[in-house]
Amino acid sequence: MMNLYTWLEATSLSIWVREAPTIWAFATIITLHTFGMGVLVGASAVLDLRLLGIARTIPLGPLSTLYRVMWAGFWLNLVTGSLLFAADATSRGTQWLFFVKMSFVVLGVVATVRIRKHVYGGNAEPTTVDATARRLAVVSLAAWVLATTSGRLLAYVQ
Amino acid sequence: MLPHDVTHLHLLLNHVPTVGTMIGLGLFVMSFVRRSDHLRHISLEVLYLIALATLPAYVSGLAAQAQVIGRPDVSESAIVAHHDRAMVSFMLIEITGFVAWLGLWQYRRLARMAAWVSPAILALGVVTFVVVGDAATVGGEIRHPEIKLDEAAVTAGGWFPAANVAELVTTNPWVWPAAEALHFLGLSLLFGVLFAVNLRLMGGLRGVSFAALHRLLPWAMLGFGVNLVTGMMFTIAAADQYITNTPFHWKIAFMMMAGANLLYLTVYDKLWELKAGQDPVFLDRAIAMSAVALWIGVIYAGRMLPFLGDAF
Repeated sequence: MMNLYTWLEATSLSIWVREAPTIWAFATIITLHTFGMGVLVGASAVLDLRLLGIARTIPLGPLSTLYRVMWAGFWLNLVTGSLLFAADATSRGTQWLFFVKMSFVVLGVVATVRIRKHVYGGNAEPTTVDATARRLAVVSLAAWVLATTSGRLLAYVQ
Repeated sequence: MLPHDVTHLHLLLNHVPTVGTMIGLGLFVMSFVRRSDHLRHISLEVLYLIALATLPAYVSGLAAQAQVIGRPDVSESAIVAHHDRAMVSFMLIEITGFVAWLGLWQYRRLARMAAWVSPAILALGVVTFVVVGDAATVGGEIRHPEIKLDEAAVTAGGWFPAANVAELVTTNPWVWPAAEALHFLGLSLLFGVLFAVNLRLMGGLRGVSFAALHRLLPWAMLGFGVNLVTGMMFTIAAADQYITNTPFHWKIAFMMMAGANLLYLTVYDKLWELKAGQDPVFLDRAIAMSAVALWIGVIYAGRMLPFLGDAF
């Protein structure tokens, strides 16, 4: 595994991301990663809050539009996150907190996808929220909060 | 002529919290005398906007402090005493602005404010007025020897020193990272909610009335509040990293404009009347797009602080 990390870190793309003396390399990539987080976690929070009973007058049907917003944030962060990982593969790949973060990201994505199946699967204009949907919303909210927290703490924990 | 350095800028902006609180509170009291709901809304809007404008007033003070402290002709004890009072004033003004916003949001939604809002505004306004007056008086001591009080009056008090905040943040190694994590969570909540609300005004979420989305606004305000508290913890604890950092100035400027937009989303009649299925007009779309761009600007300038700026 370490060989793979070392190789990954030594690719010219990784070196560029890590070392290029330009604002368009590391600085822009990490800023896009933060922006993608705001989009994904923020849009997901709006849907979760609605499922948990906040702003019940918002009809659920049109809110499925938010899935497009969430996926945009997700893909942006998959790309920027992969670049950031490749640039620091030997340190990130051996950092326990990084795997904690990734576990929460996976949990968040799974919960978010399951909400879509459960709430919108049989009906494009659902009107009720059952206990399963509420449980999934709690899982999604908690997963994104923990993913964001552990991601931010990566900068401070070895 | 524009102020040519931060100290002059602070001498200009320092009137905002004092005079602004007086005007906002004056209009608020007047609205009861004249029994005018309209005037009460205006007074709450003024208090909200004053809370926004107090941010650069306070931050320019941090910059001015760094610029003049240590000079033989300024009193260091007066600067410290002024900062202690200014920080408490800043907190009180922000809390007042938040309560004023909540009152406006409730009024828009329910056509009345909760019973506690007006007494709270009155109490906060009076306390703020006293504290900010004290801050201004002590501030005058910094460089006005002709009206000098005795030294004891300047150094007395300071019951909640700004130095304590800086110490809390810098001596506990977990405080900064924890505040950073909260700052990112606040960012997501604020941006997510306001993106959804503005998306409606840009033509998305057409099946939802604006009024239904309006219900979410306090969650954006919660994110804003979390980020104001954590952001000011960073700024007070490590002022040198921020006050001369150009992206930080941009960030505050974007925040002022985006914050004003949040008030517009909260109170504006035409938006409130936008029914499910109705198309937003061109102006709505343009304003919503600018608002989203401004919030992206806030995130961009914030995240770029260590890269575009010369600090850290």
